[in-house]
This record gives sequence, structure tokens and C-alpha cells, in this order.
Amino acid sequence: MQHAIQQIVDGLAAGSIYGALALALVLVYRATGMINFAQGLMAVASTYIALTLWQAGSPIGAAVAVAIAVSLVLGAVTERLVIRRFEGASPHTAVVVTVALLILINGIVGAIWGYNSQPFPSLFPTGTVTVGGVVLAIPSLATIGVLIAVVVLLQLLFLKTKLGLALRAVANNPESSALSGLNVGRLLMVGWALAAGLGALAGALIAPKVYLDPGMMDTILIYALAAAVLGGLDSPMGAVVAAWIIGVSENLAGTYIGFIGNDLKIGVPLVAMFVILLTRPQGLFGRKEAVRV
Amino acid sequence: MTTTGTPSPGATRVGPARRPASAPLRVLTVVALVAGVIAIALIPLSATPYTNYQLSVVAAFAVAILGLNIVSGYAGQISLGQSAFMGLGAYAAAFGVTHGWPVVASFLLAALLPAVVGLVVAIPAVRLRGNALATVTIILPILAVPLAKRFSDITGGSEGLNVDWMHAPAGVGLDDDQWRYYVVVAIAAVLFLLGRNIVVGRIGRAFAVVRTNEAVASAMGISAHRYKVLAFTIASFYGGAAGFLYVAVVQFASPDLPNFLVAINMLAALVIGGFASLWGSVVAGFFYVYVPVFAGAVDPSRTNIFYGAALLLVLFIVPGGVSGGVSRLVRLLVGRLFGRRPPARDDDALTDPQPITSTQQDTAVPDASPDGLRSSVGPRKEVP
Repeated sequence: MQHAIQQIVDGLAAGSIYGALALALVLVYRATGMINFAQGLMAVASTYIALTLWQAGSPIGAAVAVAIAVSLVLGAVTERLVIRRFEGASPHTAVVVTVALLILINGIVGAIWGYNSQPFPSLFPTGTVTVGGVVLAIPSLATIGVLIAVVVLLQLLFLKTKLGLALRAVANNPESSALSGLNVGRLLMVGWALAAGLGALAGALIAPKVYLDPGMMDTILIYALAAAVLGGLDSPMGAVVAAWIIGVSENLAGTYIGFIGNDLKIGVPLVAMFVILLTRPQGLFGRKEAVRV
Repeated sequence: MTTTGTPSPGATRVGPARRPASAPLRVLTVVALVAGVIAIALIPLSATPYTNYQLSVVAAFAVAILGLNIVSGYAGQISLGQSAFMGLGAYAAAFGVTHGWPVVASFLLAALLPAVVGLVVAIPAVRLRGNALATVTIILPILAVPLAKRFSDITGGSEGLNVDWMHAPAGVGLDDDQWRYYVVVAIAAVLFLLGRNIVVGRIGRAFAVVRTNEAVASAMGISAHRYKVLAFTIASFYGGAAGFLYVAVVQFASPDLPNFLVAINMLAALVIGGFASLWGSVVAGFFYVYVPVFAGAVDPSRTNIFYGAALLLVLFIVPGGVSGGVSRLVRLLVGRLFGRRPPARDDDALTDPQPITSTQQDTAVPDASPDGLRSSVGPRKEVP
């Protein structure tokens, strides 16, 4: 039983990292109607920035904070310079654009920092706490805490601020928002900026566990995509809950179902995503989309 | 408001039917075609074995990318999983060879098994649109790699399967590399001819309607769902056949083939080569094989920068990719020389802008008369 609880907490911690990236995907989808397949590599680039700062002698917390700030700017710039040109393009153009970004950023990151794995320092002290006889790792608990804080902050931003109201308006109906005097372009930039910042956070959380290399986020992106789709693409809460479900279920399945094991556990969220998309295309928490002609 | 929007003028093009080429252009095409066939037949006799090997790999990837083109370019359903089908075909071919099957049986297994898998995946998957379909198809390569490693009795695990076959028969007077080149290129040529007939025929026109506007498709009595499944199945068939060709050349099937990045790069090469264009698939095959070679001469990490930059360049300024750009250039030159107006620009970032003729525009919008409907999906002869 103790072992199972540890597995669940570790699963929640992994799910929190998927959740951070899934939130980024949801923000971009709400803002520009695109699934940003490059979100993972944008996060990798941010993590390398943090690594460089840390290697230059900055404390890791400050390095990550600066990297997040830089990512906010880079995300906005990407929206303005590349994505803006393809807003309202057909979905397949949108997919290809983000795939182009994925490949390009992979090349740039590889050219600057190389393709070798590099260790990345943990944001949190290593160690364990014992709660009711169950030994829990502090980084796992802290990761879960960080994600909960992020969700609360995002909810406050969206529900309690004028900027959040404007962001929701643009996500809901760009034309009417523009007619009401909102600067749609700038708000879309804000959406992409926030997403890039969240990605940077996800990168800094996962890097200490898996070592940093340009392919680090490939698998994480798949989990995040699964979480975002399961949660219904336009629902931040849905994405986070789905990410936790995925993290826990794959951890338990990988540990306790012999056939699945560690190598096939990625199949768990993917099969779940497939089944959900077929039975509830709008996801677990998403709004049903009406298509009018 | 969740309208899908009224189709833009560019989107009203129905069917890949082109403006009848002008006479000089037609002569030029025939000359180029004949010269190309002669060159393809003669090259392996004088080229180095390594060049023959590379060109054969180009042919294999061109076939896989043609399949991707049929589902993504022609039918408009983006797939990020084509490499999984190619990998499956490669393993199937290697399985046939190691179990002493006749070559034809190995080919059928390599092409039909992925086609069946593609069909099974497509029936539910094509209910999803654009983004969501791309998301689901990513699953295939991501799952294929650990599965290939897991079932190591059949697949050879991470090591892969080495095979030793497709040797030049005695008495032909060809080396192995030349023989493989001819076999692979011949099969690829047949598959391209088949693909051409699919995309210019009735099915191709139906794909185009489904791609441009599903509502129009159903108004015409074309089941978007059925045609998307068909496109996906054809793409899987081509992927599997390409896997067979790959194993014929490389003599090796491994988990490196059904990889996520291979699928992504195939899509990138396709867009750079030219979406919804047969020549585009050939260019894409060359691009896929040769860019890493050239970039690798400088620095391996430059491959991705070049790929990404070329892809963005195509999206920003050369709609239609290399093949679209070249064909527009040729048309422009021929037009200058023989006094025809250059074609107008179109705003779709992916497809080659074809000028819209008045008949196409008329028939693209479905009107109430059954003749109007039939003329745009049925035989084009009926168009006045």
C-alpha cells in the first residue's frame, strides 16, 4: 500500500509536468486555434537559457526566473513574426507551420548547445519527508505544489483581471472583440507569451530528472498533447486534471501490469486519448463545438 | 460564432483538373519526360555503387511521401505517422525474406499489412478534423518504436533485422546495386503511375472536394468520411510498399525507421517539394535523402536548421514548394516566350496556385441542377 501511494505521488508529480506543458498548449489553442507542436522545443530552448545562466554562476532559481521572462518575450516574438502570417489559415497549414518551428528550433538549439545530454540542477532540495509512514520525495511534492500555484494564478489572471477578460473574449470571438476595440493581435501575442513561459517552467521541472538534450521534451509533448486533448483543448482545468490522471495511470500501469512495463507505459495515455477522441471528441471537459456552414 | 467561414476564392477550386496546357508546354513536358526516362535508365550503368544505393533510397522515400501526399496533400488530412507504416512494411518484408517467402508474397505482406492497419486506424480517426487527426497520427510512430523493441523475436529488437536478398540474377550482367536500383525504381514508377491515376481520376476529384469543403462534398453525395478512410488506407499501402523497397535497398529493418522525427521530416520534405503534386513527391524524396548528406558535410546539426528554414520559406513565399515554384516559373517563361499571361497568385500557403478558369469557378459552387453537380465530380467532358 505504501508503495502504491508513493507511485501515485510520483505519478502526480510527473502529471504536473505534463500539465504545465498541456496548459501551454491550451493557451495557444485558445488564442490562435493551433496545436503548437513546437511547444516542447520552445521549452527546451528556454531550459538551455536557464542552464547557461546557471553555468555562468547565477543561482538556479534566478536562472529559471530569467529564462521564463526571456521565454515570454520569445513567445510573443514568435507569434508576431511567424504565426501572425498564418492566422485563419487552414488547419493543415497551421500544423505544418508549427512543425517547421519544431524542426528549426531543434536545429538552432543543437547548433548552439550541441546534442549531448547535460545535467541540470534541481530547483528543489533532494530528500524525503515521511507522512503517516509513507516516504515521499520532496521534489515530487514541490512539483505538484508549483503546478497548483500556477493553476491558481492563471485562474486569477483569467477571471479577476481585465487582461484575462480580454484574453477570454479574444479566444471566444476574435471578430467581435476587435469590433469592441480590443487589440486582438497584441492579445494573441500575450497568449503565446504565457504559453512559452509555462513551457519554460515545465522544462526546468523535468530537466533535473532526465538530463537536458534537444529531444528532452519530445515524449513530454506527447503526454501533454494527450492531456490537452483529453481535457478538451480549450479547458485549462481539464488539461491539468487529465495530466494528473495520465501521470498516475501510466505510473501504476507501468509498475503493476507486467506486460506494459516501463517501455510501453506511454501507450496508456495514447490509447486513452484515442478512445476519448472517438467517444467524446470534445474531450472530458471541453465544450462541444458546433460547425456551421 | 463558429462558422467555418465561406470558402475563399482560392478554395473554390474543385478537383486537381488543370487548365489545358498550352501546346509548347505540352511539347516541353513530353521532351522532359522522355529525357528523364532515358536518364533514369542509364544512370546506374555509369554511377558509383553508392550513388545507385542513394538513388534507390530516394525512390523508396518518394513512394512513402507520395502516400503521405495522397492523404495530406490531395485529401487534406495531415498525417504525422507515415513513418510507422513504412516501418511496418519494412519489418513485414524482412519477415517474409527471413522465412523464405517468395518475393511477391513478401511484397504483398509488406504493402497489405500496413494498409489493413491504416484502415483500422482510419475508420475511427478520420472523424477528427485537422489538428486532432495530426495529434492522433503522432501516436503511431511513438508507439511503433517501443513495440518494435518489445517483440524482439520477430523484429530483432533494437538491433533490427538484417536480411540478405535481392541479388542480381546470374546472367543479367548487373551488379547487385544496379539490379536493386532497377527493381526499386521500376516498382516505384508503377506505384507513381497508379498514384497519378488515383489523383487525376474520379477519386482524386472527390479528395479535392473533401479537402476544400466537406459540406460541399456531402451536398454532392460524396461521403467525406469514406473518402478520408480511403485516402488514409492508400497512404498506408504506399508507406508499406515503400518499406519493402527500403529493405530491398538497405537490407535492414530497424526501429530507427518508424520514428517520430522521420515522419515529421517526411511531411516537411513533402511541403518543400510540393503539396498535392506528383513531382513534388519526387523532389521530396531527393530532399529527404540528400539534404542530410549535404548538410552533414558541414555539420550534422545544420540539417534541421536548413529543413526548418526551407519549410518556413515555402510557407511564406513559395506556395506549392519546389515543384509549384518551378512549374510556375516554366509557365511564366513559356508565357513570356509565346505570349500568354502569367497565372494569378493564390493565397493558400501550401498548394500550387492553379489559375481558376471560369468553368471551374462555375461548377465549384454547387447549384441546384444535377448537371451542375455532376460536372464537377463526374467526367469533365460534360463541362461546356
